[in-house]
Amino acid sequence: MKIYEFKLPDIGEGVTEGEIVKWLVTPGEVVREDQPMVEVMTDKATVTITAPKAGTIVETRGAVGGLVPVHSVLVVFDLGGSDAAPAAQGARPKESAATAVGDIKEHLPGMDLAHTTPPPAVKPQLTAAAPVYFNPKPLATPATRRLARELGFDLRVVSPTGPNGRVTRDDVRGFAAVTSPPPVTLGTGAVAAPVVNNGNAEPLSLRVPLAETRIEAPLPLPPAVDRVASASAAAPPQPVRIASVAPGAGALEERIPLRGMRKRIFEGMARSKHTAAHFTFVEECDVTALKALRARLKPAAEKAGVKLTFLPFFVKACVAALKRHPTLNSAFDESTQEIVQRRYYNIGIASATESGLIVPVIRDADRKSLLDIAREIARLSEDTKSGKVKPEDLGNGTFTITSLGQQGGLFATPILNFPEVAILGIHQMKEKPVVRDGQIVIGDVMLLSLSFDHRIIDGHIGAAFAYEIIGYLQDPDRLFLEMG
Amino acid sequence: MPQMNMVQAINDALRFEMKRDSRVVILGEDVGKVGGVFRVTAGLYDEFGEDRVIDTPLSEGGIIGTAIGMALYGLVPVPEIQFADFIFPAYDQIVSELAKYRYRSGGEYSAKLVIRTPMGGGIRGGLYHSQSPEAQFIHVAGLKVVCPSNPADAKGLLLASIRDPDPVIFFEPKRIYRASRGEVPEGDHTVPLGKARVVRPGQSLTIVAWGAMLYESLAAAQQAAEQGIDCEVIDLRTLWPLDIETIVASVKKTGRLVVVHEAPKSCGLGGEIVSLVNEKAFLHLEAPPVRVTGFDTPFPYTLENEYLPLAHRILPALVETARY
Amino acid sequence: MTTTPTERSGAHRSLADTDAPDVIKVQREDGTLDPARDPGLSSAEVRALYRAGLLTRRLDERLITLQRQGRIGFHIGSLGEEATILGAAFALRPQDWILPCYREFGAALLRGMPLQRYVDNMFGNAGDPAKGRQMPDHCFWKPAHYASVSSPIGTQITHATGVAWAAKIKKDDVVALAYFGEGATSSADFHNGINFAGVFKVPAVFICRNNGWAISVPAERQTASETFAEKGIAYGVPSVRVDGNDLFAVIHTTRAAVASAARGEGPTLIEALTYRLEGHSTSDDPRAYRPDAELEPWKRLDPLPRLRRHLEVCHGLTDAEDQALLAEVDAEIRAAVEAAGETALPSLDSLFDDVFAELPWHLADQRDALRKGPRARGH
Repeated sequence: MKIYEFKLPDIGEGVTEGEIVKWLVTPGEVVREDQPMVEVMTDKATVTITAPKAGTIVETRGAVGGLVPVHSVLVVFDLGGSDAAPAAQGARPKESAATAVGDIKEHLPGMDLAHTTPPPAVKPQLTAAAPVYFNPKPLATPATRRLARELGFDLRVVSPTGPNGRVTRDDVRGFAAVTSPPPVTLGTGAVAAPVVNNGNAEPLSLRVPLAETRIEAPLPLPPAVDRVASASAAAPPQPVRIASVAPGAGALEERIPLRGMRKRIFEGMARSKHTAAHFTFVEECDVTALKALRARLKPAAEKAGVKLTFLPFFVKACVAALKRHPTLNSAFDESTQEIVQRRYYNIGIASATESGLIVPVIRDADRKSLLDIAREIARLSEDTKSGKVKPEDLGNGTFTITSLGQQGGLFATPILNFPEVAILGIHQMKEKPVVRDGQIVIGDVMLLSLSFDHRIIDGHIGAAFAYEIIGYLQDPDRLFLEMG
Repeated sequence: MPQMNMVQAINDALRFEMKRDSRVVILGEDVGKVGGVFRVTAGLYDEFGEDRVIDTPLSEGGIIGTAIGMALYGLVPVPEIQFADFIFPAYDQIVSELAKYRYRSGGEYSAKLVIRTPMGGGIRGGLYHSQSPEAQFIHVAGLKVVCPSNPADAKGLLLASIRDPDPVIFFEPKRIYRASRGEVPEGDHTVPLGKARVVRPGQSLTIVAWGAMLYESLAAAQQAAEQGIDCEVIDLRTLWPLDIETIVASVKKTGRLVVVHEAPKSCGLGGEIVSLVNEKAFLHLEAPPVRVTGFDTPFPYTLENEYLPLAHRILPALVETARY
Repeated sequence: MTTTPTERSGAHRSLADTDAPDVIKVQREDGTLDPARDPGLSSAEVRALYRAGLLTRRLDERLITLQRQGRIGFHIGSLGEEATILGAAFALRPQDWILPCYREFGAALLRGMPLQRYVDNMFGNAGDPAKGRQMPDHCFWKPAHYASVSSPIGTQITHATGVAWAAKIKKDDVVALAYFGEGATSSADFHNGINFAGVFKVPAVFICRNNGWAISVPAERQTASETFAEKGIAYGVPSVRVDGNDLFAVIHTTRAAVASAARGEGPTLIEALTYRLEGHSTSDDPRAYRPDAELEPWKRLDPLPRLRRHLEVCHGLTDAEDQALLAEVDAEIRAAVEAAGETALPSLDSLFDDVFAELPWHLADQRDALRKGPRARGH
């Protein structure tokens, strides 16, 4: 009696068991090699399993309809013959011939993998323009990476000053000192309590995952952006050295260390330009009606102790336009890849100081009256001039207005106040010929230059927003209609 | 406390242990009557006799093979291989038998012995009297590998090795056999295996070294200090099993690592140390770990001081690593 | 020089040499023993040896079958060499040591290794004294002073010299015996071991099983010497040739060598003329290099039928008794195989034990990493 236990083989493809459909042999039956024994159904197919050797069936295991796990015994054979060596000699398997010791198999799984043709190269999906960082693959030592991680900063947006374009620990610490809070992750806004609207509490910001905002086929990258992105991906930027004039030639240069506010502005502007895909939309605005309105309101404002400039009107017009075009009041959360649309309106007013540009913010401009805003602006202006702007008046803006009005200028390309997606630049009001009722008359015209982040704001949306503002400014009575 | 050089310290250790433990037996070429070509076993033949200090035929394979048989029977052999360069005829017995005996006999048999052998260059020995083959033994599971840098450690580590239950390859840095001198505790003095020693504490950079190159590393560290680089120098003492805790604690403090060894660079112990540090202290690294080693060439005769990783070659690596 | 079966020179393998005058023989054609060299075994002792021979032979056959059935991975047996192996082992005293090659499991069993442990070693299961770490037949049995088997050829020869040497240094009455095939006489360890043994006059006995083949390389290709025994002359080690298939000749000769060693007269090299009836191992098919016809004369000299003849003639062994012994032995084997088949595999942790006396940190790390990860699927 030479017992041989035949196990249900592993046919691969993740099959773990089979169901016995039909037995074709019975115990006691003598079978020849390859004789069909049993039909087994897996979730792939029904297969007929044949006898691996000739012999007598001693036992069949498993009833029809029963499940048999792979590698469990299915059939027990008696292969017959004695255990003497001659029988063993006859049963020498072919595989064992060419080795002194051990088990060199003829077949091993996976041996054909080396011969398969490589899969076709996957074409990279064109997504929206990749953010153009200082270096999409920043260089830093492990210790610096850990520091950045702990402080919550993305190394890609930290300006590298180390050798070979490396971000150093000092770079990270320096970045942390002038950036608060870590800007890449956006919170839910300055106001803690949700706005009550018709009795329903609404969240103040709406987070829209980036994917959902994409429109069908992604637009191809404008060539310029492509080049920039690939150029920066090609090699880490070497820090540029401005060669000094030979010593002894007199003081032909002055070296001012980059520090303080200038450093902050330096980094902020760089960051904004290196992330957003800026485009600028310029349009004229007939402000005749606005001018007249302000003139009419000025006395009442003075009586309330407020100097009424045009700026509060601009703020209100912007807020009204932002309410109709909520995407313009959003920002991009890099850490979660979401566009965060805010329903609170913190309008920043870019202001020049001796040391540089700051942007004090009028918080919740939608809930303040024109007069309140005028008061705020006056206060902030005073603080700005005296250099005493309070920290709580800075930061967390949702939209910025920048004025280039004093010096004039035809139009400009204002730089977004990171991480906002839109900025309104206002130019000087000039008298210009305008057409009204078919007649050429002298009107007051103001040019507006708006910049947008094309990653999030498409051209026509930016334009529509611009026209919205212009509409309110040209016809300020509409503000009264929508006054909340 | 007596002052000794390394030869004397090892001699002292052998004498002490042979007195203490009658199972200890020394065998090798020229170890008996002549007391060893470096005189390390001088006087032992006269004191303990030809049954315990044995001059063997010229056969490293025979020395180690028979020593294994002796160990199986219950003696504690301390065979000497005259130069580490000549250990290779015994490599089969060491790798196939010595290293595996305990494992393959389920712990019932152990082939415990200590192979003493001078290693390292800097003695104008050329290709065949200068090698440092430690990596070729570390890489064989089942062997402990030791290398002292000073006389007190030589005695202490040798006694510990003889008493350790596992086979030990005891590499003696012959370049400093006589040049290294110091106080050696009398009597029973052991130094635990598997424990490194911080020879020079420092804050800025970790140097790991052993054997004769410890002194070159210390010299380089001194010069580095003049440039404001404060190095911590670690003497491994036991090459395997490695005292990884001491190394990692140091690198976590300094963030920078330089390993110095005479043996050729590729697949040397330095590579293993760097890998382990990467595994265990990666986020603490301020600079890539660096190895200052012998070259991947046979050990040259005339240009041996260019080959060896001496202080003049260690220093630039320290500076570069510190300033990375 | 060709290696066809009909032409030979150098160390012999032909049958004629077993009749050479220097080759020690004890059992005569008629089954009786030469009284001048009769080792004087009792009936019980001879029967016990016969049973041991049957056990060894039936084990060989069974293990080969198990390997063909895929139940064990490998077997390297001693078919045809039982007299050399058992006879030499029988000639030792309990305190003596054996440093085996790998074919001599019969000697371990004779000297008390439990059959179950040997079969467990064949299965590499949790009951294996080697804890499944070695290939089958790489076993050991410390209570019998049967040292651990390794695969490299000849390394045990120097170990035997070392053991004997240590015993001599300690002044213990212990003899060390090494087995090796004639192929091993080409190894460095043969030279080193015999050389040191001669120089230091250690109490060792070296049994060279000249079984005709080192895998496919015939004996005459191992040396240009006429015999293997004569190599002893070069080392100053007395040597002798014996009919390896004559159990009593082997016992007689080995006893003499053991006694000589125990008297401090140094080592002896014994060349036992025998024949490897099977392939080198289950991984070798000798039909690739050896015609079946060559086996015939050696089959007639098969040690087990020869021993049975002696038992029949001199100790009244009957067919019935013979059959009963065979059945007993087969039953023992079957029980051990069944039990081994049901014993668990060695534990995962055991992979890391015994590399060193205590588990060092780097092995603890590696063990933990292995435990956490996925298990390998079946072979």
